[in-house]
Parts: sequence; structure tokens; C-alpha cells
Amino acid sequence: MSTAETPINDSFAAEAVAYRPRPAGAVSAIPATGTKASGATAGAAPTGALTVEPATPTSAVSGTGRPRRRNHHAEGLEAGRRSTRTLLWIILAAAMVLYGFPFLYLLFTSFKAPIDTIAVPPTILPKEWTLENYTNALGRSGVLASFINSAQTAIISTLLSLVLAVPAAYGITRYKTPSGRVFIMAALVTRMVPPVAIGIPLASMMSSAGLADTPIALSIAHTTISLPLSIWLMSSFFEAVPNDLEEAATVDGCSRLGALWRVVIPVVSGGIAVTAIFAFLASWNEFLFALLMTAVRSQTTPVVIANFQTQFGLDWGSMTALAAVYSIPVILLTLLLQRKIVAGMTLGAVKG
Amino acid sequence: MRISDRRFALYLMAPAALFLTVFVAYPLFRLVADSLFKISPIAGGPRDFVGLDNYIRAFASEAFMGAGWRTLAYTLVVVALEFALGLGMALLFTALGRKSEVWRTVFLYPLMIAPIVAGLLWKFLMIDNFGLIGTLLHQAGILQNPNQIGWLSNPDIVLFSVAVPDIWLTTSFMCLILFAGLQNIPGDLIEAARLDGAKAPTLLCSIILPLLRPVIAVALVVRGIDAARAFDTILIQTNGGPQSASETMSLLIYRTMIRFGDPGLASAMGAIYLLAMLGVAFFAVATIWRPGKDN
Repeated sequence: MSTAETPINDSFAAEAVAYRPRPAGAVSAIPATGTKASGATAGAAPTGALTVEPATPTSAVSGTGRPRRRNHHAEGLEAGRRSTRTLLWIILAAAMVLYGFPFLYLLFTSFKAPIDTIAVPPTILPKEWTLENYTNALGRSGVLASFINSAQTAIISTLLSLVLAVPAAYGITRYKTPSGRVFIMAALVTRMVPPVAIGIPLASMMSSAGLADTPIALSIAHTTISLPLSIWLMSSFFEAVPNDLEEAATVDGCSRLGALWRVVIPVVSGGIAVTAIFAFLASWNEFLFALLMTAVRSQTTPVVIANFQTQFGLDWGSMTALAAVYSIPVILLTLLLQRKIVAGMTLGAVKG
Repeated sequence: MRISDRRFALYLMAPAALFLTVFVAYPLFRLVADSLFKISPIAGGPRDFVGLDNYIRAFASEAFMGAGWRTLAYTLVVVALEFALGLGMALLFTALGRKSEVWRTVFLYPLMIAPIVAGLLWKFLMIDNFGLIGTLLHQAGILQNPNQIGWLSNPDIVLFSVAVPDIWLTTSFMCLILFAGLQNIPGDLIEAARLDGAKAPTLLCSIILPLLRPVIAVALVVRGIDAARAFDTILIQTNGGPQSASETMSLLIYRTMIRFGDPGLASAMGAIYLLAMLGVAFFAVATIWRPGKDN
């Protein structure tokens, strides 16, 4: 795929955000994405970069090896004076503490003794560190099952979104037919539909189809949210693939479908990964459809967390423990894959 | 035999189009159909055609009009604060340059947290008696009594308190989009303005913001739509209370449907809500976004 990389990078840089690969040796979050997948993500997230590093024309000219002087040479909007920079770092530190504190407090609380979670006045750190809340929360009936339900629902919904969105987005971007334009507008309009408006009719449709209270029904509902987003994202990724690529493949005797499957899909595999992450997160964190459409068998964890409030009185300790267990895997996943996610989020919006 | 490109494209789009028709368009059609009936909440109960009666009832009800205004106020507060904070952070990260990269990553973490968890967490921080925020403000000498501000129990301010988790969750998104937009502003443009003696406020208002306009528009429209649909965070924090002071449209429709068992009225409200959202979104897209009219 290495031949394909350069043109993709270029065309993307020219038309979109102008992301630029950082110099080799930069800290790499996911070195494994290397050559093959990068063909696709290349446009969005250059290999070897921890964060998408955008290029400004100035920095492209001045190069990367700029000297670090006392008053370091400011490029564009970068602050130049050392005193200004110090002040800005202090502001950033304060902002990060304020922004990060709520979740840290959730973690600290989850390690308090259950009775201390509602102590007046509250303390920030636990008086004694204990796992009691975790054993209480995870030991409740239905909690472990809800994790399995959440994972099942999110995986089915992600696969469904991809299977539907990838060909649709390809059809829209590659052939640019009037129906394609109408379709992508319609998909965008779907994003504006309030879930509460379609939740009830959808739930009654599912029960008449005999799917009431199943992960399948909920994943279909979640796909109504993630499919428009996936089509939108995948269209941006396909847009960055040069037409010549499949033209060359079709000349070599591939059918259009064969060219899509064997040539284009491998090139956008990084984009597919980004889309998959978004679809997964949309389902994993969704609450309203889960509340309307699940009862006992297919209940997902967000509903269980919300139910702690009424069902067991106000069991804050268990709630914080369960919330922590539910959030940490996706936070870690995100930090691991963040450059892909950043790319996905910025892509459509900045191209505007 | 080879089918035409146009037909091939249609085949590729058909499954997704079919899915959206069956699972979005058809439920919406059902919603509009239901809004014309008086429906008993019991399954299989009577269903009487009442024409536009549910719409008249919706507009006549104080709860509905109140929820409409509250949804608007909530959306404006959330989007305005997010935009101000997000732009501030984006400028900060830009000014600090490459060295702030790691922190940019860390700053993204709330985006991955479920809204229900965020709502719960902020409720825990703001709740009366054992809420940490009141206590810390009290210990800092700002409040005489930790419960002086009833963040979630005072009807006058509760709408702003329930907006906090939403702002906390998605300021990162705003920051990310604006940051990406800032990187596209040519550096020599800024340097030229600086040489002309432009100070930071002038730079911001007459160069940065105008150049960012398309990006800002997208960010505001996307976030505005999401904020107007907020449900999870408010439900878990206050369930719309006290005295309906934080009851936005999504919550009112949900409660009308589930709690008060009036699917016909709830459907009429849902249909009006949807139309209003579409109207505002199209207006916003046409006036501030103007796709294709900018270079």
C-alpha cells in the first residue's frame, strides 16, 4: 500500500486540515498502525504522531528544527515572550486541575467506606481506602450481566453501522449522483431527530416483531444514532482517496465491487477503525433508548447505574464504583487511540 | 452485463437508506399519526381520532410552553459557555504550541464518559449537605453556610446547575474543533498584523474570529442540536424538578408519555419539538454556516 500513501496525504493536506506528520521518532501511541492502516488514516492522522500535528504555512517553511532560544521564536499564534509563556502554563495547569478534578473525586469516593461517601462535611480523599463499594456494586445481581449486555449491544450496533455505512458512504462520495446528495442530506437531518420522539414507536415496533427486551432490538435503536454519524465520517475518509486508485484496479480487470473490496477498503481501514470507535462509544454510553427498550434481560449498565438511585435508596458508594468501572475502559481506550479519535472528530467539521 | 454507475451507487446506498426508512422515518410517521389520536396508555386500549386536538392542548399547556423556553435557555447557556471556554482553551493550546500536546490529549477525557455518569457525578458534587462544592466554597470563606446555594434545589438557578455536566462533557469537543481551525490560520497573516501593531483583542476580533467563522458555525450547530436534546444528565440530576424548573422538552415528552400515560399528547409535543429543531437548524445552517458560499 506504500505507493498509495503519498497521494492520499497530499490530496488531504491540500483540501482539508493540512495535517502534517511529525518528524520521525516522535512518541507514538500506536506504532502498530504503521504502514498498512496508515494508508487510510494517513490523511487524517499521520503515522508516528501522538497527536495530530497541524501544519501552518509558516512552520512548513521554517522547518522543524527551529532553535530554542530564550525568547523562543514565535510562529503565528504561538506566544513568544518567556514570561507570557510561563503565565500561560500556569493558567493551563489550573484549567487541567479544575477539569480533571470531578472524575478524580469520583474515583476517590469509590474507594471510601460506604458510610463516608455521604459524610458531612465531605472529604476529598478517603479516610481509609477500601474496595467495599466495588465488591458491593459488582456483587449485586444483574450488574455483571449488564456489562455483557452493554458490550453485546455496542458490538452488534457497531458492526451493523459499518456494514451499512461503508458502502453507502462510498456510493455517495465516488459517484456523486443527485440521489447521493439527497441521501447524505437526509442522513444529516436524522441527526436532528430527538431520540425521545422515535423511542416509543420504535419500542412498540420491536415488541410486535417479537424482539422486546433483546440486545438486537437495542442495537438497532442505537444504530439509528450511529449510522448517520458513520456515513458522514466514512464519506470524509473516502473523499481523501484518489479516484485513480480504483481506476487502475478496474483497468487491471477488477469489477467495481472487487475494486472497492480489494483496493479501497484496505486503504480506508484506518478510517473504518475511527468510525467503529465512534459507533461503539455512541452505543456504550447511550441511556434513553436503553431505558425505554430494555427491562430485565437486556438491561445495559447505564440503566443499572441510574436505577441505583431509586431501587436501593441513595447508594452513592456503589454508584460511584460502578460508574468508575464502566468509564475507565473507554477512557483508557481513548487515550490509547486518541490520535485516531481526534482525526475523526475534526475531520467533517473543519472541512465544513 | 454491466450496470450503470448511477445504478451501482444506488445499490450501495440502498441498505442504509432502507434501514433509516424503516427505523427512523417510519417511527416518525407513527409519531405524527399518534399525535392525531387520543390514546389510552393501556396496551390494546381505545384509540379515538381527535384531529389536531392534541396540538391545541399542547400549545395551551403551561408545562409545554415553559419547557420550550427552558430548552431554549438551556441550549443558549450550554453552547455559549462551551464556546467561550472551548475557544479560550484552544487559544491557550495554540499559544503554547507543540509542548502542550500531551495536555491536549488529557483534556479530551470527559468526551468518553457516559452522560449519565457525568450527571451523577455533578449531582454528587452539587447536592445539598454532602456536596463538595458548597463545602469547599464554605471553607474558602465565600459562603457562610455550605447549603447557602441550593444548586439543585433552588428553582431559580437549577436550570444552570443541570447544564454544568453537559458543559463539562463537551467543552473538549468545542476546543478540539476550534483548535483544528486555528491551525489553519496562516501564520504570516498573524505576524503581518502584529508588525502593524495589532494588539491581542484586535487580533482576535478582526482576524481570528472572522477566519474561524465556518468552523465556529459547524461547532455551534452540532452542539446546539445536541444540547437541545439533552435528557440523561437532567433526568439523573433532578428529574426535571424542583417544581419543573429544570424540565426541558425531552423530559416533558418522556414524562407525558411514561408517567402521565398520554401518548397522543406526547406525540403531538414530539412532533412540534422536531419541527422546531429542524426549523432552527436549517435557519442556522442557511445563515451562519452557508456551506459552499465560503472559500
